[in-house]
Amino acid sequence: MQDSVVLLKMDDFLNWGRKNSLWPMTFGLACCAIEMMATGAAKYDLERFGCGAFMATPRRADFMIVAGTVTLKMAPRIKTLYEQMAEPKYVLSMGSCANKGGPYWQHGYHVLKGVDEVIPVDVYVPGCPPRPEALIEGVMTLQKKVANERLLRDKWVKNA
Amino acid sequence: MHKEIADYLNSVVSGAEAKALEAEVGDSSVLVASEHILKVCQALKDSDEHQYNVLQTISGVDYPEGVGEDKTPVIEVNYMIASFTKNTEIILKVRVPRGDDENLPKVDSVCSVWTAADWQERECYDLVGVEFVNHPDHRRILNPYDWKGHPLRKDYKAQEVYQGMTVYPEDKQNIPEQDFIVEQNKLNDEAKAAAKKAREEAKKDN
Ligand code: SF4
Repeated sequence: MQDSVVLLKMDDFLNWGRKNSLWPMTFGLACCAIEMMATGAAKYDLERFGCGAFMATPRRADFMIVAGTVTLKMAPRIKTLYEQMAEPKYVLSMGSCANKGGPYWQHGYHVLKGVDEVIPVDVYVPGCPPRPEALIEGVMTLQKKVANERLLRDKWVKNA
Repeated sequence: MHKEIADYLNSVVSGAEAKALEAEVGDSSVLVASEHILKVCQALKDSDEHQYNVLQTISGVDYPEGVGEDKTPVIEVNYMIASFTKNTEIILKVRVPRGDDENLPKVDSVCSVWTAADWQERECYDLVGVEFVNHPDHRRILNPYDWKGHPLRKDYKAQEVYQGMTVYPEDKQNIPEQDFIVEQNKLNDEAKAAAKKAREEAKKDN
């Protein structure tokens, strides 16, 4: 075994590593965050997908789960946190609130109508709140997206 | 019990104009003149007989059409206080004119009586816009400091743009759907009214 050689594309190799160690940021906003915590805990065990290591700083995180109501007061802070994350970075918007304002879409004077108003979102998970299974599916969708990226070609070679 | 407290307040604070509001439903309360709220609170706390040593909450209520018979628009500030030694509870009320954004109604802060009033008064200021005179830290508490308006006032209009963010982006408002719902509600109401009328007529015939 130790002398064997694996041949594969550099991009695939990097993506294989990246997609199986997507570290989210420790960051929850409202009721959806409770469901996110349940997803991280023993019963649903997000660690099975390599996503269980919630990072306490944006600098070390690969993606951000926007779990909950984004108020207008919080929105500029979320933007700052997003800008502090290192590329390549991803955003998963969890729950109706982060998707589109949720129950506050019509009369919520203090709620941003969807976190995509301030930062780009990769995956939307619908629900109020989404069950842990739904969040896991969202994470798996994100993993698929990561696996199909061509970082070397699209980001680094092009910008070199 | 409210009557006794009103009498007590009138006897110790001159000009308190304390009045017991006996409610048929819900909670009774004691209404006092807003200029004397600080003295009234101090008196209730210091009195050996009542010993109101705990402030439970302060809440503001907006009545743009007045309270009951009285049609002058007011903001009511309610102080829910309790005595843990005497095991009693009471609601104190003051009413102030509504004023406007430049000219908020003023009430004396009771922070010097119960320290718990600090955040409660900030919340009341933030949401219904009552200025608390001599408050040690008079800032908004829930909304950002650069927020405009006081959201729990009945005539509050949400800002259109806050720090460059549109509060109600048109493409996210589902306007056709809203119109549809309004239309459906109207049809429902009409159908209900027609059914009611038919029922009443049937009753009359019998
Ligand atoms: S989507 Fe529902 S559960 Fe999630 S934060 Fe909003 S209100 Fe709470």
